[in-house]
Amino acid sequence: MNCVVEIKMGELAVVNDQTDELKTFVGSCVAMCLFDIKTRIAAMAHVMLPKKIHSKQNTMNDEAGKFADVAFTCMINKMNEMGADKKRIRAKIAGGAAIFSHESENGLFNVGTRNIAAIKQILKENGIPLISEDVGENFGRWVIFNPHSGEMTIVSNLKKTQKTI
Amino acid sequence: MTFYSGRSVIISHWERDMKSEHDDLQQLNRVLDSFIISKTIPSLSKLLEEPVKYVIKKTQTLSITNLNLLISDFEEINPMYAVYVKCNGDLHMGVLWYMLEDESRSLADKLIGNSISNKSEKLIISSISELGNMLTASIINAISDSTGYKMGSSVPGFAVESLRILLEATISDFSDQSDMLIASTVEFSGIISGIRLQMLLIQDSKETKKLIA
Repeated sequence: MNCVVEIKMGELAVVNDQTDELKTFVGSCVAMCLFDIKTRIAAMAHVMLPKKIHSKQNTMNDEAGKFADVAFTCMINKMNEMGADKKRIRAKIAGGAAIFSHESENGLFNVGTRNIAAIKQILKENGIPLISEDVGENFGRWVIFNPHSGEMTIVSNLKKTQKTI
Repeated sequence: MTFYSGRSVIISHWERDMKSEHDDLQQLNRVLDSFIISKTIPSLSKLLEEPVKYVIKKTQTLSITNLNLLISDFEEINPMYAVYVKCNGDLHMGVLWYMLEDESRSLADKLIGNSISNKSEKLIISSISELGNMLTASIINAISDSTGYKMGSSVPGFAVESLRILLEATISDFSDQSDMLIASTVEFSGIISGIRLQMLLIQDSKETKKLIA
């Protein structure tokens, strides 16, 4: 039977090769996946916001994926503890859509764009290669990551599309 | 003995907190009810040119990981036409208006008139956005009249998506300050046309305290 781990909003999970799929649904949020293809240790975070700004902002255990910066650190540390090698870790991301739009103002509902930029910056600063992405546009996506193959499948029910990156 | 005594104290605190939260939600319902009756119902009734009824379906405290509490199976699979308006000022809140595609077309017919037979998507988007804008303004005006708080609203953002994605985008807008939000869901319907329109009002719990004080 397939072992599927579903990541809710603001959550993250780190798994080993006993897991077949990591799965989440994102709109303006971004699914950030890190994986070590040799050990098949993988992590997925459902990132809602770019950065933890106030120390009073909660990051409870079940919401460790909420902020891109906190999520990244947590994922890398847990992956290392489980035996992943940071030098082999690669990243894939999906989501960051502009769900709400207005014909005359584009900058108002742009948390998706900011999430994408923040994640790319964090990956760059930490020397983690971003090997593929499916980001932006204006629709929600199911994101399914396979830790065995490193493939990320993206499904849009509304657009009736599916692709693997 | 000490253990049981300690436990009873803890339970007593927990019961008191739960009762306090329950009382706050009840009070928010009453306040929201008065705002809707005084401003939103007259506005919507005038726009639809028919009497309108409404029901506050639920007001609840919501963790960001618990969106499922707000989504029915029907809403999970059917795309919604939606308008989101952010309100900032003395109070911060988000108002999401949403409806099914058929209802959005019926609403556009009501707002623009049946004379335009082939309404473009752009025309429907404009009319629904304007509706969301005006109805949100009615809530802001009611709050201002009742409390003296001053607020402004953003331009209305439009989307066609599943309710899950609409909620994700709405809640992301609030979750930089708090993980616990207060969500009120209200359904409006035209008594003659049967057109239904849903409203979701989202606030940080601290903002709710200000509103019901």
